[in-house]
Amino acid sequence: MNISETKIEWSEKYRPTSLSEIVGNGKPVSDLCAWAKEWRNRAPDRKAAILYGKPGIGKTTAAHALAHDLGWEAIELNASDQRTATAIKKVAGMASETATIGGGIRLIILDEADNIYGNADRGGARELVRIIQHTTQPILLTANDLYGVSQGIKNLCVPIAFRSLQSRSIAQLLRKICQNEGIACDAEALLRLAENAHGDSRSAINDLQAVAQGKSKLHQDDVVVSSRDSRDTIFDVLKKIFKKKDIKDALNATYDIDETPDSLISWVDENLPAQYRGGDMVSGFDALSRADIFLGRVQRRQNYRMWRYAGAMMTSGVVVSKSREYAGARFMPPSQWRRLGQTRAARQMRDAISGKIGLRCQVSQRYARLNLLPFVKGLVSDRDYAVRLAAWAGLDVGEIAYLTGSKKGALKVKTIYQEAQTMFEAGIAEEIEIFGGFGQQGQQGLQNAAADLKPEKPKRAPVALAEELEKKQEKGTEKEPKEALKKAQTSLFDF
Amino acid sequence: MVGQTNTIGRLSSYVRTENLPHLMFTGPPGVGKTASAVSIARELFGDTWQSNFTELNASDERGIDVVRHKIKNFARTSPVGDADFKIIFLDEADALTIDAQSALRRTMEKYTRTCRFILSCNYSSKIIEPIQSRCAVYRFGPITDEAVEERVRYIATEEQLDITEDGVDAIKYVAHGDMRKAINALQSAAMLDATIDRDAIYQITATARPEEIEKLISDAYKGDFAESRRKLGDLLTKQGLSGEDIVGQIYRAVFDVGDIPDRKKIELIDKIGETDFRITEGANERIQLEALLAQFVLSGGIYND
Ligand SMILES: Nc1ncnc2c1ncn2[C@@H]1O[C@H](COP(=O)(O)OP(=O)(O)O)[C@@H](O)[C@H]1O
Ligand SMILES: [Mg+2]
Repeated sequence: MNISETKIEWSEKYRPTSLSEIVGNGKPVSDLCAWAKEWRNRAPDRKAAILYGKPGIGKTTAAHALAHDLGWEAIELNASDQRTATAIKKVAGMASETATIGGGIRLIILDEADNIYGNADRGGARELVRIIQHTTQPILLTANDLYGVSQGIKNLCVPIAFRSLQSRSIAQLLRKICQNEGIACDAEALLRLAENAHGDSRSAINDLQAVAQGKSKLHQDDVVVSSRDSRDTIFDVLKKIFKKKDIKDALNATYDIDETPDSLISWVDENLPAQYRGGDMVSGFDALSRADIFLGRVQRRQNYRMWRYAGAMMTSGVVVSKSREYAGARFMPPSQWRRLGQTRAARQMRDAISGKIGLRCQVSQRYARLNLLPFVKGLVSDRDYAVRLAAWAGLDVGEIAYLTGSKKGALKVKTIYQEAQTMFEAGIAEEIEIFGGFGQQGQQGLQNAAADLKPEKPKRAPVALAEELEKKQEKGTEKEPKEALKKAQTSLFDF
Repeated sequence: MVGQTNTIGRLSSYVRTENLPHLMFTGPPGVGKTASAVSIARELFGDTWQSNFTELNASDERGIDVVRHKIKNFARTSPVGDADFKIIFLDEADALTIDAQSALRRTMEKYTRTCRFILSCNYSSKIIEPIQSRCAVYRFGPITDEAVEERVRYIATEEQLDITEDGVDAIKYVAHGDMRKAINALQSAAMLDATIDRDAIYQITATARPEEIEKLISDAYKGDFAESRRKLGDLLTKQGLSGEDIVGQIYRAVFDVGDIPDRKKIELIDKIGETDFRITEGANERIQLEALLAQFVLSGGIYND
């Protein structure tokens, strides 16, 4: 720990330097030591380990503490560094192939390895696989979510799960800090802070510094942790919109919830048809439509003043749309598609996917969005297609979830992603044909047709595509044709 | 998350001990998130505050490269003068892409000897969990009129200022949940006159009196376009208000104007929003506001010739 330093953030100041200071997580820490011990003689079978778990539970700390305890040199590459193939090769590759000056061991820490796949880091994952395969030095990865790490990498690593800390352990950590800072503290106060952190000791320490710094005594009453439950929920807001008459009340209620206007409007949108009838519903939708126009202005012009009008239209505007009282249908959360269709994030997602497809087909993002994306969307319900598409275009988890209309955490999405990564790492992604290999177009397929925007040639392609799509829909989702399809398929449009 | 009740007290204890954790301020616009960040920096760094405080608006530069290059370089250079660290204020941090937020994670930890982050955002749900874990989170709710009043009265007593009852009300109206504005108004008015009353407050803050705005609206709604338009001209030229201020005040007032049914009010709010948008797009705010008044006439359905 760096306790001699006074002007440093507490969570850093009290970062354990040795494994023995790490609270809780005994099992993973000893697993980590066991893996490290194997390195004493020669490189073990699995030359890398991955520490994964929620934020603030000691993963990064353990990685550095291990190096400290064993007298290893440590070198770190994290998400704030560029992690393209070249960058990874340069830093980690070099370090992994050469011994330290003294002939000791050098630990390579790849912090936050769950995030290497963004567009900015293209090729990084594949390079990492190569480096792990060829390293002569131990490699430690950390990640919040194992699903963000590709199968290829996971196969090469010893997985070590870190668990969220118990409130008791966190309270104990906080007590030590208080002692060190010369703050007398109330056990109840510490427990409250600890519980509020839900297992994340870093945020508990931050909260402690927030409430205790500069005090000589910390009393229970000093710990005002805002209880989320006391705030209005989205359902209270919906009630004020659909069941009550006060326009100001409905608007004001939205200030107390932490829901973005984009998200709120999709809640109202989802429930409106079930709550109002006839002309009231029509007028309600008119209000939502106006709200949406204002939201569009926020997005496009960064004109944040427009938020207040959007907010008023989607709440008060819907309040006044009712001409009578309606009995209570239950409020439903917006379906995934509805939610996705409206957020700015979704639009970015759509454009990002179109961009990736466009890149591979050498057409503009706009062309891909208007002319290719609809087909892709129609076809991803076929799982094999989805996998190949993901590998071909380099889609990430969020993008796959968007295309398949599933939640990001859904098993389906994760497995598609992983299989795609495997294809990608095996280097066969380059050979996949997404828009080719059907009809007269032969191997060139739409890839060329789409790229070639001269009017004579490409006319056929979209027509053919549509036919393919129709054929596919006729086949429906029965099992049998799908099996047949699996065998014969040489391209993603070759059914 | 730490409750808002004692936010100011907490923030000033950081200043007293000259140390702070990374902070995240969440809440609607105009409740003093930026103001708090600036005042922490001013008090912490004194004369060198401007060199040690960097403000980046995340909505201008939202990508991962900003984090990897610009922010990282700011973070690792040493503070100026005898400051112990510098502060990077990331305004509208919820506009950062997920990738960019991820890249920020380790930067926040590694350069803590030279730098602290203050993130400001409207919605905490848009900030990824690992970033929230690295910050003490403060939620800024809209500041209540009562809190403003209490603060104003406290300062007035301390500084022995003479403030009238309607002066206090005027400050509440002007501040509209922004404590900094309230205190500024009080301070400037105190320099102007021995007694602080409503007129002094409205004058010094270039704000129209609420009843003037209400009259502007109801005149138009009742069909007296000429009178309403004359009043508008006064506000713009004689009182020197900006179109943006006026449209904001009209928006606030319209909820409370008597004699207009709720349905009509919503219709008007829609028109007000449209006008607000057109003011930023257009060249002449007077024309846009006149057009708005004409819409009010139309809504009221009475035409005086
Ligand atoms: N198990 C733990 N024991 C002691 N301190 C911890 C533990 N986990 C987290 N901390 C505290 O939280 C901070 C962040 O921990 P870190 O290891 O960086 O978390 P992450 O798991 O997100 O990598 C550390 O500096 C330390 O102060
Ligand atoms: Mg970490």
